[in-house]
Amino acid sequence: MDDQTQGGKTTRRRASIGSWGIRLGAISCFAVILAYFAFTAPGFLSFYNILNVVEQSAILGVLAFGMSVVIIGGGSDVQTGGIDLSLAANTGLCAAVFATTSNAGYPVPTAVLAVVATGLTVGLLNAIAVVRLNILPLLATLAVMNVVAGSELILTQNTVISVASEFVSGLAMGSFIGVSFMAWTLIVFTALMICVLHFTGIGLRLYAVGGHPEAARAAGIGVGRYLTSTYLFSGLCAAIASILLVSRLSASTPGSGELLLSVLAAALLGTVFSRRFVPTAGGTILSTLFIGFLANGFQLLNVSSYWVNGVQGTLILLVVAATSLAKPSER
Amino acid sequence: MMNTQVRTGKRSRILKATIASCAIVLGIHAGFAHAQDTGEEKLSLAGKKIGISAVGTDHAWDLKAYQGIIDEVKSLGGEPIALDAKRNDQTQVSQLQTLIAQKPDAIIEMLGNLDVLNPWLKRIRDAGIPLFTVDTATPYTLNNSTSNNYALASEVALQMVADMGGKGNVLVFNGFYSVPVCKIRYDQLKYVLQAYPDIKVIEPELRDVIPNTVQSAYSNVTDMLTKYPKDGDISSVWACWDIPQMGATQAIEASGRKGIKTYAIDGSPEVVEMVADPNSPAGAVGAQQPYEIGKSAARNAARYLAGKPIEPFTFVPAVLVTKANAATTAAQFLEKK
Repeated sequence: MDDQTQGGKTTRRRASIGSWGIRLGAISCFAVILAYFAFTAPGFLSFYNILNVVEQSAILGVLAFGMSVVIIGGGSDVQTGGIDLSLAANTGLCAAVFATTSNAGYPVPTAVLAVVATGLTVGLLNAIAVVRLNILPLLATLAVMNVVAGSELILTQNTVISVASEFVSGLAMGSFIGVSFMAWTLIVFTALMICVLHFTGIGLRLYAVGGHPEAARAAGIGVGRYLTSTYLFSGLCAAIASILLVSRLSASTPGSGELLLSVLAAALLGTVFSRRFVPTAGGTILSTLFIGFLANGFQLLNVSSYWVNGVQGTLILLVVAATSLAKPSER
Repeated sequence: MMNTQVRTGKRSRILKATIASCAIVLGIHAGFAHAQDTGEEKLSLAGKKIGISAVGTDHAWDLKAYQGIIDEVKSLGGEPIALDAKRNDQTQVSQLQTLIAQKPDAIIEMLGNLDVLNPWLKRIRDAGIPLFTVDTATPYTLNNSTSNNYALASEVALQMVADMGGKGNVLVFNGFYSVPVCKIRYDQLKYVLQAYPDIKVIEPELRDVIPNTVQSAYSNVTDMLTKYPKDGDISSVWACWDIPQMGATQAIEASGRKGIKTYAIDGSPEVVEMVADPNSPAGAVGAQQPYEIGKSAARNAARYLAGKPIEPFTFVPAVLVTKANAATTAAQFLEKK
């Protein structure tokens, strides 16, 4: 018995050193790449370029926060924990709804309302499947993703629906004290997320629900209610992101579903900044910006953009490896 | 074009109309002959950075044009900043935004959704960067290198009308009307068909997609063949580019149905080969020279940067490859780049 306990402790210690090492490796990977860009890529550190990257990351950032909240609430185990695979497809559907309602002549507030309603409905669908029907989030949201992607195709017939309105072009091209509205959206959204997740009771209870649902339930927290609200929140994020997307592209275009991999990458990479490998607001925004800087730096260095996928994939592999090592007891 | 005339002996009405239209087409060619690039001029891009933005390079045409631009920029001594957005509009917009910040000496943009691109192309010009385009007609470009899509599309449409004997039903793929060249080609088809009221476009039109273009076109056409099972229900399939044509041709072949032919534009080697095969349902394809079109864009940038005058567009010659003329026309599109 004693030997086993001893052995267990040693394995755990080794694993924790291993995961610490890999975590450090991943973070230094981030740092080395950024430092390399800073020293070699012309104009990388210029204020204008940094703002460009923040602006380019706005859509991904908002979605990554939605995904992070679902992962926090549902637990960070990649297979059985919280995940919302329908997030990107939902963004596409919301963008299509925004484009069609705008083109049908409805005023901006009505179109925005329709978009928010769409996003929340998809979120509710996920919540019912996960919380009420008790389906694994990975499968439930995969099914919803297909329903949503199909609805987008029905609505748009897989075509580009262009939107020409002052609201859209204002959001895309406008700025306030030299910072574009898109960038402002991400900055304000990030500030809100940091406050809510890390400085309020709601955030604390959400981490409790994801970390140990039974304990949270015993402490009197409405676990189901919290889980439901995470999916509703990610639906809301899809709605917000879709308005940014339509503004940036002056249209709703097919292929929003492709965002899913980047969103997952941003949310998963973000966990490396936390000791317990759970998403944090700071980690999510850092990894979102990192993904943006990666593409930007390669372009400034005139290195083929095909490398971006490889580097992103390697980092995800590192992070997932670190996460698995950190939780040997679950195997 | 010669063959269009030869093959239309059946009906004098069609013949007359075809000849008249071809004459107009010839007129267009002749009128803009000066806009063609002879490639003999001495040009240089030494010390110049040229940004190149393509929406995607997954289609043979796109890849060749993209390579044409890059190769020519290099051979003229310039430094290309080549960006492939991998068919993602968001990526292309971000790449263009960063490109503007990089302040290259010129930007060459290739294909993509005009509704998405126009505000960004305007930003390029507002930033004082000369803009050139490949196959993309926009008010913000200094020069658009392309094929004469007006002429080529009406030639293909007329060939189709001739093969159909001026009557029957056409299946039309119309998924990319927002892409400028597709708009021109589709509009030309519709314009030609106005003169032939006995030819009906089957509604609703089909939607070609990216990715999985071939598979999707294959299943779409298979479904339509099932829906319209009688010989003569469908006489032709038309698409604005030849990748859906590939799927459509395979679907017709697989079904064993006779009397249906396919038509499109671009001239991918696989499709030219199908047209050249006497047993294939591929009727004709308007074959372009994408590599030359790409080179032409780079040369126009060099010309402009050297302070020489440039035309608003450059037409690179294209050829209508048909079943009848394939023996002499197909070979040049089957080999090399």
